[in-house]
Amino acid sequence: MPTMTYLQAISDAMREEMRSDERVFLMGEDIGTFGGAFKVTDGFIDEFGASRVMDTPLAESAIIGCAIGSAVEGMRPIAEMQFSDFVSCGFDQLVNVAGKTHYRMGLSVNITVRLPSGGGFSGGPFHSQNPEAWFMHAPGLKIVAPSTAEDAKGLLISAVRDPNPVLFMEHKHLYRRVKGEVPGGTYETPFTARIAREGTDLTVITYGAMVHTALEATADLDGSVEVLDLRSLVPLDEEAILNSVRKTSKVVIVDEANQMCAAGAQVSAMIAERAFEDLDGPIVRVATPDVPIPFSPTLEQAVLPQVDDVREACRELLEY
Amino acid sequence: MPQMGVSVAEGTVVEWKKQVGDWIEADEIIASISTDKIDTDVESPATGRVAEIIVNVGDTVDVGVVMARIATDARPGEAHASENGDLGTGEAAAAVEAPGAAGELLGDAERDTSQAKRYSPVVMRMAAEHNIDLSQVQGTGRGGRVSKKDVLAFMEGGAEEPPMHIESPYRPDEPAIKRKPKPRLQRVEEVPKSDTVAAPSPSGGSLSRMRQAIGSRMVQSLQTAATCTTIAEADMSRIEVARKAAKMSYLPFQARATIETLLEFPHLNATLEGDQHTVHSEAVHLGIAVSLGEGGLIVPVIRDAQDLSVEGLSKRIKDLAARARTNQLTPDEVSGGTFTITNPGPFGSIMATPVINLPQVGILDTEAVVKRPVVVTDELGNDSIAIRSMTYLCMSWDHRALDGAYAAQFLSALRKKLESWPIT
Repeated sequence: MPTMTYLQAISDAMREEMRSDERVFLMGEDIGTFGGAFKVTDGFIDEFGASRVMDTPLAESAIIGCAIGSAVEGMRPIAEMQFSDFVSCGFDQLVNVAGKTHYRMGLSVNITVRLPSGGGFSGGPFHSQNPEAWFMHAPGLKIVAPSTAEDAKGLLISAVRDPNPVLFMEHKHLYRRVKGEVPGGTYETPFTARIAREGTDLTVITYGAMVHTALEATADLDGSVEVLDLRSLVPLDEEAILNSVRKTSKVVIVDEANQMCAAGAQVSAMIAERAFEDLDGPIVRVATPDVPIPFSPTLEQAVLPQVDDVREACRELLEY
Repeated sequence: MPQMGVSVAEGTVVEWKKQVGDWIEADEIIASISTDKIDTDVESPATGRVAEIIVNVGDTVDVGVVMARIATDARPGEAHASENGDLGTGEAAAAVEAPGAAGELLGDAERDTSQAKRYSPVVMRMAAEHNIDLSQVQGTGRGGRVSKKDVLAFMEGGAEEPPMHIESPYRPDEPAIKRKPKPRLQRVEEVPKSDTVAAPSPSGGSLSRMRQAIGSRMVQSLQTAATCTTIAEADMSRIEVARKAAKMSYLPFQARATIETLLEFPHLNATLEGDQHTVHSEAVHLGIAVSLGEGGLIVPVIRDAQDLSVEGLSKRIKDLAARARTNQLTPDEVSGGTFTITNPGPFGSIMATPVINLPQVGILDTEAVVKRPVVVTDELGNDSIAIRSMTYLCMSWDHRALDGAYAAQFLSALRKKLESWPIT
C-alpha cells in the first residue's frame, strides 16, 4: 500500500474518480495551470484538460451556482473554495439552492465542495476558520471532515458519489503533516465515526486536526482514554457517540472551531439528551473562544486548543 | 495598602466607600487613601462582600499591609454580614492590599468540599438497578465523590451483597433477587460438628461437600430434635422509624431485641446434647445464618452478643457476612452458638419453619416486613384499620427441651420489645 500525505490522498481520490467517471470535473480559483493554492490539483490540467479542470473567476457564488446547475444536468462537479473562509460568498447558493433543491424539486444536487479549513499556521482571521457549523444548521447539506490520509481519500470518493451536496472539510494544517498508508484504486469510506483509539475511562470526541491533538494529549494520561474521530458531522454518528459514552461515562469534546454553536455543541446537547443517565461527570468542551483567529503565532496558539489544554481538561475530568 | 507610586512607602486612609457587609464588584472603588498629599481611589481586587475593615480612617500604614477583607464566597442578596457573623472566613477572603501580593482570588479553594453526597446520573442509575446503598460506597473522586468506577468496584467486591434486609421486599411478580454465583466454600470442616463422610469431588451430578454437610446436619436435626414451630406477628412500625434514622437494616434491631428476650427466657438460650441441657443465662452467643448463594449456608457466631449495641451488632453481622462470603472465617467463629437467627426476609418470603441448628434448642426466622392492613386499638379502646409494617416471627424449638407455652411467651416478649422500641 502506498504511503501518502493527506494532501496527496485528496489528489489521488479526485484523480481516481476523474479517471473512472467522466461526469466528474473540477472547478475553482487557480486550480488549473497554477495547480491550486495548495497544489492539490497539480498536474491535473495536463492529464484531464482545461474542460475538466476549470479555472474560475474569483466568485464563489458563481462557482457553486455553476456546480449546482451542472449537477442537476447529471454531472458530478467538485468545486474548490481556495480557503474555506471564502465560502461565505457562496453561502446563498449552498444553503438556499444546493441544500433545498431536492426538497423543492426532487432533483439530486450531486456536488462536492472542498473547503481547505483550519488554522495553526498564522493564516490570520480570513484564512484559518472552521466554518462547518454554519452549514450544519442548514438542512440538506452533508459535511465530512477527515483526519487521516486514508479517510481523506475514502471520504472524498464517497462525497463525489453521494447524490447529495457534500461539504468536504480538508484541514490545511494536516496537508503535509499527516501521512499514512492509503489503498490504491477507489474505495468508499462511510459517513460514520471512527474510534481512533480505544479506551474505557473517558471519551474525547473530535474531528479533523484536533484528532491528532487529542491523541497526543491523552497518550500518557493516568487513565484509559478513548478518542472518537467523528469523520462526518452531517450525518452525525449518534450511535457511535452514545456507545462510547455509555462505556466511559465521561466526555471531553474538542472543537477547533469557535465554541459558540460549534459541531461539539450539538454533540454535547445530544449526549445530554440521550445519555444523561450514563454520565459520571459534566460534559467538558475545549474549543476556540469566540474571537477571530489572530495572525500572531503566539496569540494564535493561545486561542486554538493545544495539546496541553486537552490534556488538562481530560486530567481534570478523569479525577472528577 | 497598594503601592501607588515608586517612591510611596505608606498611605493614610481618607475614607471607606464601602462598609462591612456591603457588596462590592471587582474594580469598584472601595476606599480613598492619601499618599504624599495626593488622594487616590483604591479599587477592589475582587467581587464579594466586605467582611472586615482593618485599617480605620485616619490611620497610616505601610505599603503591603492588609486594609480589609472581602468574602469572595458570598453571594449577592444573602444575609447582611451584621446579621450573619460567619461571613469572611480567612481562606475565602481576598485581602485588599498591595497589588501583586493580593492577586489570587481564593474562591476555588473551598469548592471541593462535600461533593461526597452528590451523585452523577450514571451512579444514581446503577445504584437503583443494583439496589446499592450509596452511603456504603467509598468515593475516590474529587472531594470524596462516588464515581462510576467506585460503584463498579463496590459491586465487584460485593461487600454488601446480598442485603440482609431490603425495604418492602415483598414483590410477588418479581423474579428472585439476582446474585452473582459465589465461589464454593472450601472450608467445609468449619460447619459446626460436621460429620460428613469424605465426599467425591463435586463434578458431574454429585453434591458439593458443603451441600452434603448441610444435608446431613439438617437430616440429623429433624431426626433428633422434636421440632415444633411457633409463629407470632409483630408490628415493625417503630423499628422502621428507628432503622431509617440509623440507616440500618431490620436485622440488628431484631437481633438486639432477641438477645434481650433470650436473657429473660434462658431455656431457649441453651444447648441439648444427649440428656445434658446446658442453659446460658448470662451470655448469648448468637448465630447468624449467612447465605453463600449456590455455595450453601454457614452460621457464624457473634460471641457475647449481649454486650453489643444495635450499631455494634450491625457492624459484626456485616463483617461476619462479608468474611463468610470470602471464605475468611476462622473455625472458632462458626461454633459455640447458643441460639440462631436466620433471615430469609430480604428474598421476599413471609413465613417458614426453620430447622434447629443442633445442639441448640431454638432458631428464630425473621421474615419479610410487609405493609398490611391491621386492626389497631387506640387508648380509648376504639378499633380502626391501619396500614402497618408487619412481619412474622417464626421460631422452631426443640420440644425435648421446652414446651409450647414457653416458646409463645418468648415470642410475645420479643414482639413487645419490637413494638415498643424507643425512638429518639
